[in-house]
Amino acid sequence: MKILKNIRLVSFVAFSQMRVRLKQTIIATVGVVFGVTVFIFLLAYVKGLNGYVQEITLEQTPHLRLYNEPEIATQSILDKVSPGTLNYTHHVKPKSVLPNIKDGLQVIQEIRQDNRVTAVSGSVKTQVFYEVGLSLFNGQITGINYTDENALLNLGTKIQEGSFTELNTMPNSLAMASGLAKKINVHSGDKITVTTPKGDYLTMTVAGIFKTGIPEIDIEQCYAGLSTVQKILAVPPSYITNIKIKLYDKDIAFALSEEYKRKYHCSTSDWMKDNALAFENEAMQNMVVYCVAVCLLLVAGFGIYNILNMMIYEKMKEIAILKAMGFSDDDVRGIILIQSFTIGIIGSLLGLLFGFLISYAISLIPYESELFSAINHLPISFNKAFYILGLSFGILTAFFSGYIPARKAARIDPVYIIRG
Amino acid sequence: MEILRVENLNKHFYTPADFWVLKDLCFSIDKGKLTSITGKSGSGKSTLLYLLSTMDTDFEGSIRINGEEIKGRSNKWLSGFRNTHIGFIFQFHYLLPDFTVLQNVMLPALKQGKYTKEQIEHNAMELLTLLNVKSQSAKRASLLSGGQQQRVAIARALINEPAIIIGDEPTGNLDTSNTHVVLDLFRELTTEKGYTILTVTHDDDFARQSDSVIHLIDGEISK
Repeated sequence: MKILKNIRLVSFVAFSQMRVRLKQTIIATVGVVFGVTVFIFLLAYVKGLNGYVQEITLEQTPHLRLYNEPEIATQSILDKVSPGTLNYTHHVKPKSVLPNIKDGLQVIQEIRQDNRVTAVSGSVKTQVFYEVGLSLFNGQITGINYTDENALLNLGTKIQEGSFTELNTMPNSLAMASGLAKKINVHSGDKITVTTPKGDYLTMTVAGIFKTGIPEIDIEQCYAGLSTVQKILAVPPSYITNIKIKLYDKDIAFALSEEYKRKYHCSTSDWMKDNALAFENEAMQNMVVYCVAVCLLLVAGFGIYNILNMMIYEKMKEIAILKAMGFSDDDVRGIILIQSFTIGIIGSLLGLLFGFLISYAISLIPYESELFSAINHLPISFNKAFYILGLSFGILTAFFSGYIPARKAARIDPVYIIRG
Repeated sequence: MEILRVENLNKHFYTPADFWVLKDLCFSIDKGKLTSITGKSGSGKSTLLYLLSTMDTDFEGSIRINGEEIKGRSNKWLSGFRNTHIGFIFQFHYLLPDFTVLQNVMLPALKQGKYTKEQIEHNAMELLTLLNVKSQSAKRASLLSGGQQQRVAIARALINEPAIIIGDEPTGNLDTSNTHVVLDLFRELTTEKGYTILTVTHDDDFARQSDSVIHLIDGEISK
């Protein structure tokens, strides 16, 4: 009860002093408001953009890939012939391996039974040339089972013209990425001549045009039915070179890739490996953004420090009087800390509000981009964590910048001041 | 009854050079007396006052106020002790300018927390009436005249009914008529209400009307 009374008295003194110094108090508060506002906005903007780019990238990346790759033999033939002796073999060449996954269809069936897997899709890739007039354009056709691939990469939402569904039903039909279609000037329904790696000519129908938003894909990718590509390559229907897998929990991708590698004797890769550069880049950007945001709050903190410090110099005599009247060192420290806390809390809350309003306003501005086909506004993140972070950083800054002046005030020697 | 007892009190200043300010002082003050400390500037009277006020704790010897030894107490204990047992009146009145007159008087009692806010406000108003500044109670303290401010400061010193009131030249900054008002008030507080008052003064007239005088010469009490 007595402690409560004392807290009430100390806050009463603190607030009275702030009321008299309203202008300075407001200036200090505005500093915090500004810091927190920019903190929120910066995070919302950068993380929103990064998050969007990551999302579309991940959407086009399977969590797990199974494929076959020629590998350099770890043991030379000499080692097998005469073991136990020291053999030197220079320029070892990779062993000849078939690019297809052994028993591909069987593997797909098995993986589909795995309850950690959401979707699985087998595909065959081939290099081709598109013959347009007198020119040849390089390209790549991926043969897919559309239903499976759609479950995996959400292709249906990427279509711009025509549709994907003919891939399964109509032989020699293909879906082309928008960048490539623009380059060679074809539209859905057009016929196009394709030269296969074996030198054969094939006339194909463009069934649809799609756009993923990722430039590397949009400039060269084409999809065709699995059987169409198998026919181009002259291979049997069991020939599968790539198996893509989507998981319920993408964090187990690495562990699962090791498991499948042992089980099916093929090479594997996961989404982290496939996008290493993008993630590294994002981590760096995050670091810079957080540094800038924290610096802003630091500046606000110096503002609070300055104003409280000035006030203590001004109020030195009055602090001495309070002490002579029986206020303890703790009480005096409490007065200054309450003042900086109040500035911190009010400033931070207003900062959150303004940060939200600015972010919201920006998210309403129409924004057209060649790259981001799926959005017409800037992607702004409204993650709650930023707001919690902003609030705690704001209050913490205020607390620390108030602590030094508070300690100084507590140490004021009343005799020294009153004697003059 | 003895309110204050000082035994073998010694005080040194060490900066810039060792200087022996107070030399082995011994004296005591009884309840209900008005005592003056006089002496030339530099004689150590202010230093003595701040030691007695418990704000300066760097001394050798013993100071007992209301039976409590001051030597070796923590800052926290001392501030509580000052709040309850000692009332201050300074030369330049030293009210808190951000607060009203009434709030200034109430603050030490609010700090003590012994009574409710309503009771404290009632007591403070009574004191302001006694000191004839009741009409000013709602004003900001910085707007009052010097004499009025000093009377408010006296009201503030009295609010917790302290064992001893310590004054640092309380009339030093006042004109003759206000000096008389304060002096009469001090006489009234000691004889009629039983307060004990100890003040440093330069004013001979003031010293003559005290019950006793401690005259310091170079840090020693002259007989």
